[in-house]
Amino acid sequence: MIAIHVSDLVKRFETITALQGISFSVNEGETFGFLGPNGAGKTTTIRILTGISPPTSGSASILGKDIVNETIAARKEIGIVHETSNVYDDLSAWKNLIFSAELYSVGKEERESRGKSLLELFGLWERHNDRVKGFSKGMKRRLTLAMGLINNPRILFLDEPTSGLDVQSNLIIREVIRDLNTKGVTVFLTTHNIEEANVTCDRVAIINHGQIAAIDSPERLKKTIQSVQSVKVAFADADPSIKECLRELPLVNEVRKEGDKYRLITEKPPVVIQAVMECAAEQKVTVISMNTYGPSLEDVFIRLTCLDVRTKGVRAID
Amino acid sequence: MSQVLYELRASWAIAKKDAAIYYLKPNILVSGALFPLFMFLAFSVGRPAEPALMIPGLVAITILFSSSTIEPVSIPIERRMKTFDRLLSAPISLHAIVLGESLSGFLYSIGIASVPCIAGFVLFGTGLSNGIPFLIGVVLTAFCFATMGTLFAAYPTESPGDIMSMLNLVRLPLIFISGIFIPIASIPYPGQLLVYCSPLTYGTDLIRAGFSGPTLFHPAVDLVMLLLFIGVFQVLANRLYKRFNE
Ligand SMILES: Nc1ncnc2c1ncn2[C@@H]1O[C@H](COP(=O)(O)OP(=O)(O)OP(=O)(O)O)[C@@H](O)[C@H]1O
Ligand SMILES: [Mg+2]
Repeated sequence: MIAIHVSDLVKRFETITALQGISFSVNEGETFGFLGPNGAGKTTTIRILTGISPPTSGSASILGKDIVNETIAARKEIGIVHETSNVYDDLSAWKNLIFSAELYSVGKEERESRGKSLLELFGLWERHNDRVKGFSKGMKRRLTLAMGLINNPRILFLDEPTSGLDVQSNLIIREVIRDLNTKGVTVFLTTHNIEEANVTCDRVAIINHGQIAAIDSPERLKKTIQSVQSVKVAFADADPSIKECLRELPLVNEVRKEGDKYRLITEKPPVVIQAVMECAAEQKVTVISMNTYGPSLEDVFIRLTCLDVRTKGVRAID
Repeated sequence: MSQVLYELRASWAIAKKDAAIYYLKPNILVSGALFPLFMFLAFSVGRPAEPALMIPGLVAITILFSSSTIEPVSIPIERRMKTFDRLLSAPISLHAIVLGESLSGFLYSIGIASVPCIAGFVLFGTGLSNGIPFLIGVVLTAFCFATMGTLFAAYPTESPGDIMSMLNLVRLPLIFISGIFIPIASIPYPGQLLVYCSPLTYGTDLIRAGFSGPTLFHPAVDLVMLLLFIGVFQVLANRLYKRFNE
């Protein structure tokens, strides 16, 4: 069954068009990633799919229920983890959880047993009676996730679940997502973290300026841009002028300095490896290491969103 | 049917949540509890004993200020903290949200208004001759102005001050055109028309019927008018929340 179906969705605010007619479907049980830079329209999409914000045109349905005409029925199937950890600072973790359960009409026994196991799962049980005001960012995030799961949803929306968290909170959250996936829960997550999309999602949609640039599995997306394979080389004691020499090599499209290493972008890594060795011999420098890389999801992302940050030597998107 | 029950329970949960978080917040205590109580004292102490005339009006004013203060403060704060999105994305209708918010102002106001009432009854005896119109008057007035507070809070701002200043522009004049301090007969003609447009007039009148004071209308008229105002405010609030939902 199709969990989420979106057809030609447009969202206009007074001055800007945040979504310019996007269409996609997410199958039940899938972990679907929405990957895009700041302002791409990720949160806007989630707000429409959860019935908070009405679309300007187009339609969307959740498990076959239209989000505009059957909003309440559609919402009963979903859990939402909003972009900001919107917990009530003045209530305890437990009261926060119970309040969300009440909004979703989860029965008393069920909410108490599930509430306890969720707080244990997210490592918050010891603090369940403490006011949330004193919680760290990661703890609030984990509580937000627990609140999003209290109604045992079939579809979970996560708006940047791990953004800005430490390794431990990050790991717990990823583990939970994986676990949900094995239980058949559909997960729709937005992120601007390419690695997160790469490791957690079955399929990824790359969104930019309110348009979907590509949708596919991370591996297949990488295949579409074979031309950006690369060779990374480190020299023992190279003069900066070596960069010029590398740039002159045949079949090298581009040379980027990355820390103490050089990355050479090419379509034919074997040829380039040969040429680099020759160049090194000529310049009398020693090669310490050399690796070849296939295209990364980041390369796909940069290619499709036309982000030109390479020239400044910046590689990460965030 | 089950959905109605489902939504009523959610409304109740929203009201309980507001009570736990906002009822004792300092700014709410000042403008929703202390201000109306001091006003009550200021106007009731040292006046010639005419409880049937003054007390109903003062009770109504206490209710007006206490019931309409919670939502104009809590809703902008919840917009800023994004917790309002929780309500907006829950599997309940806007009606349930508006009802829950109004309920929280209502309960607060009943609590606050009972302070001078109980104190007055204990210290000076009741003067109350007919409990039914008094109780209905108190309940409906409180619910009416709680809904009005919720209605004003629909204005999409994240700062309580914005809503409070708009609200006071309405609340303060209401006191003067509801026959509490200024007898309606002494208000010049066009002003008298305004008197009939104020829910406070009907609330005060119904409460006054409980004290067997001189009333303007039959209690049934007051009752119908208050219900009408509640209905209109509820519908308008729903419209506005929907409209401002981007
Ligand atoms: N309520 C609103 N009014 C006006 N413009 C808005 C509103 N909400 C979003 N936008 C605009 O829509 C565009 C998309 O915003 P959105 O929040 O969906 O981006 P995003 O992909 O979630 O970005 P981020 O990674 O920063 O969270 C932005 O240009 C934003 O300014
Ligand atoms: Mg966002």
